[in-house]
Amino acid sequence: MTVESLVFFFLAAFAVTTAVLMVVQRSPLVSAIYLIANFFALAALYLLLRAQLLAVLQIVVYTGAIMVLVVFVIMLLNLEEEGRVRTRIAIRTWITVVLAAGFLSEIVYVFFVAGTPAEGTTISAGAESLGTVESMGEALFGKFLLPFEITSLLLLTAILGAVVLAKRKG
Amino acid sequence: MEIPLSYYLCLSVVLFVVGVAGVLTRRNAIVVFMCIELMLNSVNLTLIAFSSFLGSITGQALVFFAMAVAAAEAAVGLAIVIAIYRNKRTVDIDKINILKW
Amino acid sequence: MSDHLLNDLSLFAPETAITLTLVAAILADLIFRRTPLVVAALVLAGFVVTGLLLLGQTGVNASIFTGMIAVDSFAVFFKTIVVLAGILVVVFSMESGELNSPGRKLGEYYALLCAAALGMMLMAGASNLLMMYIAIELSSLSSYLLSGYTREAPDSSEASLKYLIYGAVSSGLMLYGISLMYGLSGSLDLRAINRALPQVLSGGGAASFTLLIAGVLALAGFGYKISAVPFHFWTPDVYEGAPITITAFLSVASKAGGFAMMIRFFKVTFIDAGAVALPAGTWATLQGFHWVDLVAILAVLSMTIGNLVAVWQNNLKRLLAYSSIAHAGYMLTGVVVLSNQGLAAIMVYFGVYLFMNLGAFYCVMLIADKTGSEDIDEYKGIGGRSPFLAVALAVFLVSLTGLPPTAGFIGKLYLFAALINSGWTWLAIVAALNSVIALYYYVRVFRNMFLRTEEPSSPGITLSWLQNAALVVLLVPTLLLGLYFTPLVQLAQASVRLFGTP
Repeated sequence: MTVESLVFFFLAAFAVTTAVLMVVQRSPLVSAIYLIANFFALAALYLLLRAQLLAVLQIVVYTGAIMVLVVFVIMLLNLEEEGRVRTRIAIRTWITVVLAAGFLSEIVYVFFVAGTPAEGTTISAGAESLGTVESMGEALFGKFLLPFEITSLLLLTAILGAVVLAKRKG
Repeated sequence: MEIPLSYYLCLSVVLFVVGVAGVLTRRNAIVVFMCIELMLNSVNLTLIAFSSFLGSITGQALVFFAMAVAAAEAAVGLAIVIAIYRNKRTVDIDKINILKW
Repeated sequence: MSDHLLNDLSLFAPETAITLTLVAAILADLIFRRTPLVVAALVLAGFVVTGLLLLGQTGVNASIFTGMIAVDSFAVFFKTIVVLAGILVVVFSMESGELNSPGRKLGEYYALLCAAALGMMLMAGASNLLMMYIAIELSSLSSYLLSGYTREAPDSSEASLKYLIYGAVSSGLMLYGISLMYGLSGSLDLRAINRALPQVLSGGGAASFTLLIAGVLALAGFGYKISAVPFHFWTPDVYEGAPITITAFLSVASKAGGFAMMIRFFKVTFIDAGAVALPAGTWATLQGFHWVDLVAILAVLSMTIGNLVAVWQNNLKRLLAYSSIAHAGYMLTGVVVLSNQGLAAIMVYFGVYLFMNLGAFYCVMLIADKTGSEDIDEYKGIGGRSPFLAVALAVFLVSLTGLPPTAGFIGKLYLFAALINSGWTWLAIVAALNSVIALYYYVRVFRNMFLRTEEPSSPGITLSWLQNAALVVLLVPTLLLGLYFTPLVQLAQASVRLFGTP
């Protein structure tokens, strides 16, 4: 066991635990906190994969912007916990479990037993310089220029619409 | 020991399935959003893993865009939740008749 | 480099025009606060200019912005459908009583409409999975917002939430599919994936199984956009809850964008370009990935479930929602055929669907504005109160059923012919049986309009000259294309060319 694999297994266990806890928690606010913890674990995993810029963005965008907004709305609406009684949901829960288990086993079979689809078996040698601000910037303003510009329109639309929907009448 | 790609992929599938399960079982619209965010994040992990192992930047670029889209979607989603809450005083998706036949 | 960019930009002119319209609508809304008609007229002009710029792209076959967007006759055809739907929906919106209630600002409404149209136009041209994802999200986000625009109506914001949750989940599934395809092929560009796949598939069962999962997941995204069963759950609720102008826009333009994108995805990515000894105009699928069966199953499910559930509906808007699911099923059969003939049949179908479906929704809107109800039982005696409106609605519904001499018949005829020519006779029979079910529920509407007597107190319905003119504009193609359809068919046959395919 190298240090790197120890770190990986710790982060993986942490990510799965927080994800499961987020789904089973009845209080929305506690769920949100677990999701934030999960995002930190993912950011660390991105670092293991040598994606420096995205690791930082993960914290800045997801934790700093999206989750703060979510927590803010939860507190603004002062939401109660979901009730315990859920008779009608039982069937849906079972369907979910069956579907999820089926999907999970299928994909794990593909990745583990039958071998991975991607060619490389180790992180490629150039990965270190791949996730830097410099190379990402070159890609975004070179090959991906058009999607980048369209994304700005997407954000404009979102701002415009969010203001229209959320503002009070009059 | 170098961590093989399949470990990352399996972790991301587990997270994805947990997210899907949350979407299907939870009733609070905001929690459903959070579960969707979890799904998107697990996809991001897959993409970054592929990107690093293949040595191509395309996957990381897609993650960048997915993050921007997720932020926009969160803003719109929460605005809609607030609009519904004003009308109905609830964000429970069972009480607003989702999945009505 | 800069020459390259300028050339790309000149081929991007229609999209640029609609983007400028979007920005102009926001600014005009700030200046002309009290007169919403100014903004509407501006947006209308913007859509018309976009349409004219599209006309200038006839015959172009190019790939622009480092392979992100393809400009080919196929994309131009579907973009034209989107723009025509946009023009008509702006006209509807100017007339709609539901939208023009006092105190409502409509500037943002028109701006969002432009954004949605831009997203759908990009969907028609996107030839890179990343661009497809951004285009889907742009059109979806603006559609969520538009369907919740009348936010004081509880139905409207509910519809919006349902739309958003289903949309976000299916785009999450699609993104997962995209990531698997990226892992398999190392690229997001459709043609590069196509080049990489034969080698990947030769690797054996695991690779083709992964590809199958990726294909199914991607299909979730497309199926959601075209509202095919089993990704249709949002459709009835959103169609019922959204403002009716938006319902009309989604039912045509969003479907057009979704179909264009799905066809490009399957045709460019999974067709064996090296296959030899095939009759002209037919395609060969890659060995080891049977996506055609998937699409055939989807088509049968959509037709049957859409039509069967429509029989039980009492709200005409909801009924039309299920009928639009069924129509998605009919059009999917054209994909199964795997030939240019099937592709042309889908386009012919879209050409007539544009007029008949928008027409039906327009009649429902006019009647709902006057009577305040979309319930089919409230349609009793409409035939006596407003003969022209009732006859127009009847024509649109006959056309949606697919009976001669309307345009809908021609659409179905070409689809069935393509199916039978390529040996999918059972699918053609299923589609024909479904049309019979459709006839049953449309007849219910006719009977209420013409055979049931009206209640004595109900007033007559009078239409303004603009409303009459709009009805005529929709009615003429619905009837004319049923009799003189050669130009549309020729246009469709000339538009089957996709960039990067043989």
